[in-house]
Amino acid sequence: MSRKSIVLLAVAIFTAALFALDPGQTELEHNGWFRYTNQSSEFKITDPSVSRFSLERGYLRFSYQWAPPFFTKMTVDIFSSDKYPEGATVRLKEAYADIAMPVVRDFNFTAGLQKHYFGLIYSWDYTHPEKSLADDQGICASADYGLTINGYLPSGLGELQLGVYNGEGYKYAGKYVNLSPELLGNVRLTPFPGIALGVSMFTNAADQSHYKNDKKGRTTQSGSTFFMNADTANKNRFALAPMFKLAYGPVSLLGEYINYNYTRFFSYYKINFDSAGAVVDSTLNEKTKKYSFSGLDLVPTVTLAKRTLEIFGRFSLWDRKEEHDNEMQLNKDKSFIRYGAGFNYHFMRREKGKPGLEFQFAWTRTQPKNTELKPTDVLLAQVRFEWSTIINKPEL
Amino acid sequence: MKKLLALITTFALSTSLIAGEIIVKGSDTMLNLVQRLAEGFGAVRGDVTVSVAGGGSGVGITAITNREVDIANASRAIKSKEISAARAQGVNPVEIVIALDGLAVIVNSKNPVKNLTVQQIGAIYRGEIKNWNEVGGPNKKIVLYGRQPNSGTFVFFREEVVKGEYASYMRQMNGNAQIVDAVKNDEGGIGYVGLGYIRNVEGIRPLAVAKSSQDQYISPLNEADVKSGAYPLTRPLYQYTNGKPKGQVLDFIRFELSPEGQKIVEEEGFVAVTQPYIEKNNKILQ
Repeated sequence: MSRKSIVLLAVAIFTAALFALDPGQTELEHNGWFRYTNQSSEFKITDPSVSRFSLERGYLRFSYQWAPPFFTKMTVDIFSSDKYPEGATVRLKEAYADIAMPVVRDFNFTAGLQKHYFGLIYSWDYTHPEKSLADDQGICASADYGLTINGYLPSGLGELQLGVYNGEGYKYAGKYVNLSPELLGNVRLTPFPGIALGVSMFTNAADQSHYKNDKKGRTTQSGSTFFMNADTANKNRFALAPMFKLAYGPVSLLGEYINYNYTRFFSYYKINFDSAGAVVDSTLNEKTKKYSFSGLDLVPTVTLAKRTLEIFGRFSLWDRKEEHDNEMQLNKDKSFIRYGAGFNYHFMRREKGKPGLEFQFAWTRTQPKNTELKPTDVLLAQVRFEWSTIINKPEL
Repeated sequence: MKKLLALITTFALSTSLIAGEIIVKGSDTMLNLVQRLAEGFGAVRGDVTVSVAGGGSGVGITAITNREVDIANASRAIKSKEISAARAQGVNPVEIVIALDGLAVIVNSKNPVKNLTVQQIGAIYRGEIKNWNEVGGPNKKIVLYGRQPNSGTFVFFREEVVKGEYASYMRQMNGNAQIVDAVKNDEGGIGYVGLGYIRNVEGIRPLAVAKSSQDQYISPLNEADVKSGAYPLTRPLYQYTNGKPKGQVLDFIRFELSPEGQKIVEEEGFVAVTQPYIEKNNKILQ
């Protein structure tokens, strides 16, 4: 998106917010993450492979509430990116309407680009500045296009979400969205203070892999045979993630276990040429390969000094298994153990009429299960700033 | 390790966030009332300071969930969503009723309309009745004043009177005092406020309200009718603590519910707790 388009979009949105909306409650929010990233092997922070400042997130949110039964929100993320000469890009992160269900108390119907209620993605509030495991490993995106019914069980027992999504995530909405929707269910129970238990599950017949139907070919060494990708898709996707949260006083422990499987279908043309370059024959071939992933993510946190200071840790395990010769074998290069720690200091916590300002620091080490590979250390230092304001329709 | 566990346990089980201080936050409707109760408690317990802030019922409940306050004031019951969020944080919200409130519907004192049914008030606030001449008043556009969505009064009024969606043109005000001021200066205005905000105020008049056109119109100024439940718009005023109250917090709540505390409640224009709530409170405070 060009800079001119971004400016025009911003002007249109502001104009709409000010003049097109009846008085209800229109709120404008901004949430920016200014980050320094240092990445190196074996803690050689003075010899990094990555050392940079960036605007990691720049959320701009518009929300409108007209009485509790109707709420709508749009979020765009304007952040640093090398993809455009201007050094920044825009993505649409949320755009949905939330409508109270008329008969069922405390339940809403949500339509649009909305949060993907899988595992800890649902409750991830970036106490740890990096993504949740499912989001980080690309199991699913943190937001997707869909329809959900979500709400709260009586007497504070918990909450429930049931939804149908595209299944390709918020980055794809056009030709890369296939015919197979994703079905997702999520339940969280809070039967007693200090204990939350839940499970999420999604199933999707197919999504588009990152090959995305690109017709790229390659030739053999003899030069007489050409392979051209016809289609590639990850099919029969299924993921399950039980989760828990334990909280006692200032201490909490958040955790989830993820199990995710799919079968990748490759189809390709094998085209044979004669010495004159004419096509001799062309056959469509298909191969399948099964992938299986399992992961564990634990985030302990201690909150101190009237919630101004949070100290956290993180421990993650990730196993990636791939089918070879009809056997599922661990890919040790892409499986890892990850651990780290950090802290957050809140200069101000955002609340009604008050902005938020927070400093975050985190260190994470990722050690592949192939012990011949060196571990990667990432140091993050981040300033998060956020504010919101109510936009009132001007008196004309 | 043992010292660390002891420190954590002390944080978790402390009866108050700070010894010698009780922090209270929430409902704007209850702000003046609880401040007066705090003053009365201070006269009895000079070693304890009670600080009281408003912000709305929703703000108070969020604050108790985040362990920022000892007591949350709320003019509406805690929602299921809020209970779930509190439990996930290890907080157990316990409910105590400290007073009753009659919600008064007020008009400008120059408005000749004196009585309305709950259905008529609901239709007005839904935007179905737009002119005072539709309810026996002058030919003047009705201007709606109400609270913001984080207010317990907003929620209570919507559920008990509006029974639907507020009209989009309702002007959302920050608190009861702002609604009183707005209606006082607007001859077409109508608003809803806690009883404690209408006594001895010039420029406004509370309407007598009937459940239906077949019922008697009852004024919110009649305390006996508010106490008995005869006045249609009566609601309990709540306080929430994390777990059963203990220590100085328990002492303060016991003072609020004592004869001296309930006298302050009535002086502030609210109604003392009635027997069903007394019995419910006793089960918690024993």
